[in-house]
Amino acid sequence: MHSLGRAALAAMMIVGAGTAKAQITTFVASPPRKTEPAQQAAAQQREKVAQDSVARVAMTGMKEWVDSASAALAIRPDTVPTAADTAVGTPRVATAPAPKSDSSANARASERQSEFRNGARAPNTATPIPMIALAGVLLIVMGMALRRRERSASVRVQR
Amino acid sequence: MIGRLTKPVFRGRRAASSALIVSGALLLIGSATSVARGAIARDAARARWAEIEAARAVAGAKLSTGGARWSEGRGTPVGRLTIPRLGLDEVVVEGVGDAELRAGPGHMIGSVLPGDSGTSVISAHRDRHFHALGGIAVGDTVVTESAHGTVVWKVTRMRVVNAEDSALEARTTPTLMLTTCWPIRYLGPAPERLIVEAVPKSSTTGDGRRATENGAAITGRH
Repeated sequence: MHSLGRAALAAMMIVGAGTAKAQITTFVASPPRKTEPAQQAAAQQREKVAQDSVARVAMTGMKEWVDSASAALAIRPDTVPTAADTAVGTPRVATAPAPKSDSSANARASERQSEFRNGARAPNTATPIPMIALAGVLLIVMGMALRRRERSASVRVQR
Repeated sequence: MIGRLTKPVFRGRRAASSALIVSGALLLIGSATSVARGAIARDAARARWAEIEAARAVAGAKLSTGGARWSEGRGTPVGRLTIPRLGLDEVVVEGVGDAELRAGPGHMIGSVLPGDSGTSVISAHRDRHFHALGGIAVGDTVVTESAHGTVVWKVTRMRVVNAEDSALEARTTPTLMLTTCWPIRYLGPAPERLIVEAVPKSSTTGDGRRATENGAAITGRH
């Protein structure tokens, strides 16, 4: 009896492990190796950044320096995801923000609206509470009127 | 025959009337709960402000909050607003979100505290804390207490603007802007905003120095 139970447990473990492995392998599969073009592109970007940083030393205009610095920051090699960064292996643009849901975008918009800056809008200070209360009173009055009408009608029918 | 036909009608009417009454009661309970939560939050803000004032009295100088700024947590009491003629006396909390405005007038994050150089914006609901603002007039006195001391303001300008207008200007001189929705005595949407502007008449800093409108400092506690 015990041996039968052990055998069943062992079978379940084998089958379960096989199923679990099948599920997990889709996530833990080793990422695709860096392709040759990706490595070349990264090397080119590093070289370009180095050139820009050398060139900016020679610049005298502040505006040019700022533009150069911002451009260099935008293509910093450490911010460019490699193929190993993502499971699907599709590189994303370094400066592109991750897509956010509509609700979080709305929350950020309202957050910005509630912060002061020159030319800001006055905050929204209207509440729906009085309207809700009024609607509640109206519904109760309507319900009571309907009930009264029903009572008077039922009295007439009884007669 | 008539009885058979009318019975379902009666049942339907009874069900409809019950549904209406229950729905109305739920709406009333919901709005009453919101008002009650606002009252509780307001009391909590007042209690917290009383603690801050007590701490200031003990310290004998500046607020213990050490100059509460926009970086302070939302909902934290940052000041007190009084309009003696209208009987308005409210504790101002940080932020103008729904939760903050439930507790009291909100100090708009990013604007300076009343008394500091720049524009200080305080907003509140037209049907709650700033309902009395409908009776304000140019020349009225507004008193604020904050980390920057007590400032007596004089209302200099009132304007009604569209809700979408960029009406709040950043200034370099101390300016107080009180905003609420307009029209004040109206149920429904608020397409406009009332903006009340005030300039300092006199102020008392946290260390007890008093400054008049022309900037001359007067020693002694307010």
